[in-house]
Parts: sequence; structure tokens; C-alpha cells
Amino acid sequence: MIVALDVILFLILLATAVLALQVKDLLAAVSLLAGYSLFAALLFAGVSAVDVALVEAALGAGVTGVLFIAAILATARRSDAPSDRRRRLIVLPLIVAFVALMLFASTGLPDRGDPDAPAQLGVSQTYLTDSLADTETPNVVTSLLADYRSLDTLGETMVIVTAALSAALVLARRGEIPVWPQRRGGTDPGDDGGTDPAAPAGTPVTGSSGTADPGGHVTTSSPTPDAPTEAHGGTDPEERP
Amino acid sequence: MMMTGAYPSVVVRVTCALLSPFIAMFGLYIIAHGHYGPGGGFAGGVFVAAGAILPRLTLPEELSYSLFPRWIGPATGGVGLLLFLLVGLAPMLVGAEFLDYGAVEIAGMAASRVRYLGILVVEVGVGLAVFGAMLMIFDVLTLRDDDA
Repeated sequence: MIVALDVILFLILLATAVLALQVKDLLAAVSLLAGYSLFAALLFAGVSAVDVALVEAALGAGVTGVLFIAAILATARRSDAPSDRRRRLIVLPLIVAFVALMLFASTGLPDRGDPDAPAQLGVSQTYLTDSLADTETPNVVTSLLADYRSLDTLGETMVIVTAALSAALVLARRGEIPVWPQRRGGTDPGDDGGTDPAAPAGTPVTGSSGTADPGGHVTTSSPTPDAPTEAHGGTDPEERP
Repeated sequence: MMMTGAYPSVVVRVTCALLSPFIAMFGLYIIAHGHYGPGGGFAGGVFVAAGAILPRLTLPEELSYSLFPRWIGPATGGVGLLLFLLVGLAPMLVGAEFLDYGAVEIAGMAASRVRYLGILVVEVGVGLAVFGAMLMIFDVLTLRDDDA
């Protein structure tokens, strides 16, 4: 942990957060948020929390940005005009007061890695010393998450799956959500292309290799789709972000 | 507005087609290697989902949706959560508490080894659930009216 590097990273983090709030273009805001997550991941890695850093980098800087962009494409790209000044006069002092309260409270926290901190005096010592003998797992974080505290992890997993199901319930307005492989006689090539071998679109790609092998598809797809996809791209270049 | 489908630039298409299998494989490595290094089911599942979403963003739809069809998301999400719950219920069959894998006795295996295996199965379950959830959220966000 290098203090100067941490300060620089933290300043960049603050700058991306403030800019993400300021910009009117939501696509730029999403990019800034992804950058924010990346610098947050670097800060986590700086304090040796590599597991958290990995999740933050994968989820925050990766997939969340894609999901946000998909949401923007489904709605609107510009954010509304800023609200009137009077609201800002109320909100800004509240934010300042909250930050001041948090900073004041943080002075009472024990130092990082302090052996006499309350968090180190309870059951965590047992976890740290016995984890390898109990579970044969060198990574204590994994044995904590998936063994000692696996009920927490079960709850988190339920939350994630429930969130996805709720998103499907809210967003799938009139179409059905396919939950099982379906064979149907529809001729829409974009829908369940794998289950419909007689797709009408001229597709040498799916016709040449019927397996679901990613490597095989990579080699066949790179040279072939020029003609159909250039035509496809020519029809709607303005619809891409 | 379209998000899925073939991207107009051939450079982007080829790069993403080459990268996405390796991203997914890195995710599988993170899931399997959670005992010894950073990561586990959560981060690994997100990486595998990224490897499945990237083709949808850049490759022709008939190709990307045959690699990972739409039903994969809900199905793996449910299967992963079910796997986790079943592993949690297994110790209850022998009279131990919920999620106490070490109580299950497997012949020729120490209790710590059984817990090691329990952790592995839990990580795989979490990875499947997270992968399915991410793919499902992406699929319903990009669902168009003419799709279903």
C-alpha cells in the first residue's frame, strides 16, 4: 500500500464520480461509472482485498456497464435538465452534513490491521487459524464465504437470482421468457437460431458447423460474415451507439 | 434501437469472437481455482457471463444465440441455486445442521476433505446462478417486441 498512489487513485475516483453526476449524456455517465469501478477495484487491490477487487472489476467495470447501456438503448440517452435551484439549496447542505458526520465517525474507527480491533477479537481468530485444517482451503476468504458463512452466500445468491427474475417479470412486457429449449415453427432467424436449422437467412456460419463449440465458430465466423453483415450494418448504422 | 447483432466493423467482430471464449474460460478457471486464489463462484460467473454477452453484442444473432440460447439464462440460474440448496440439505439427511457439509461422511475421506468438496460444489452453484442471472438480465433488457 503506497500512500501517494492511493491518494492519486482516490482523487481520480472522486473526479469520475462527480463527472458521472454532471454529464448530461447518459452513455458518457455509464463510461465514467465503469472507470469509477475500475479505480475502486485498484484501491481494493491496494489494501489486499483481491477477492473484492476481482468482483468489482468484473461486475462493476464490466457487465454492469453493458446492462446500463442496454437500459439506455431501451429508454432515452439524455438525462433531464437539472432541477430547480431551491432543491439544490436543501440537498447540498444535507450532503455536506452527512459527509462531515461520516468523517467524524471515522475518527473513532480502529486502525486497519489493528490486532486489538473489535473485529479481530471475536470468532475471526478461530476462522483464520483453523481454516486450513478444517477445510483444506488455503484461501481463507473462500472458506469463509462458502463454508463458515455459507448461509450468507446462499442469501446473496437468492438475491441475485430473484433480481434477475424480477427484471424479467417487469421487462418482458408481452413476450414470453423462454425458460426451456423450445421448438417452434417461427421463421424469425434472430430468435432461437440454434433450434431452428431451417432458418431462412443465408447463413453459412450456422450451416457449416452445427456444434455449440465456441472455437469452431470462431474460425468459421471471422472470414465468412462479410457479405450479410456489411449489408446488415449498412441498413442501420445510426442505430448503433 | 439495436444492441445485439452483427457489429458493422470487422475488426470489432473478429476481436470479440477471438476474445470471448478465453474470457469465459478465465471465468471457469476462477470458479475452479477459488480455493487457492482470489475469486470464486461470484466473480467467475460474471466472467463467464461476459464471455456469453460479448458475442451477442458483436456477432450475427443467429450465431450468438445458438452458442448461448435464451433459455440458458433462466435454466442455469435456477439449476445453480438448486445445487446450492441441495448441498445445504444433504447434511440434514444424516442429522446435522443445514449447510454443515463436514458432517456428511464419505468413506476414505477426512471431514476436512468433504468440506473442501462442499466448498467446490457451492462455488460451482454460485457461479451457475450468477452466470444465469447476468445473462437473463441482459436478455430481458435487450428483448425486442418482435422477438417473442
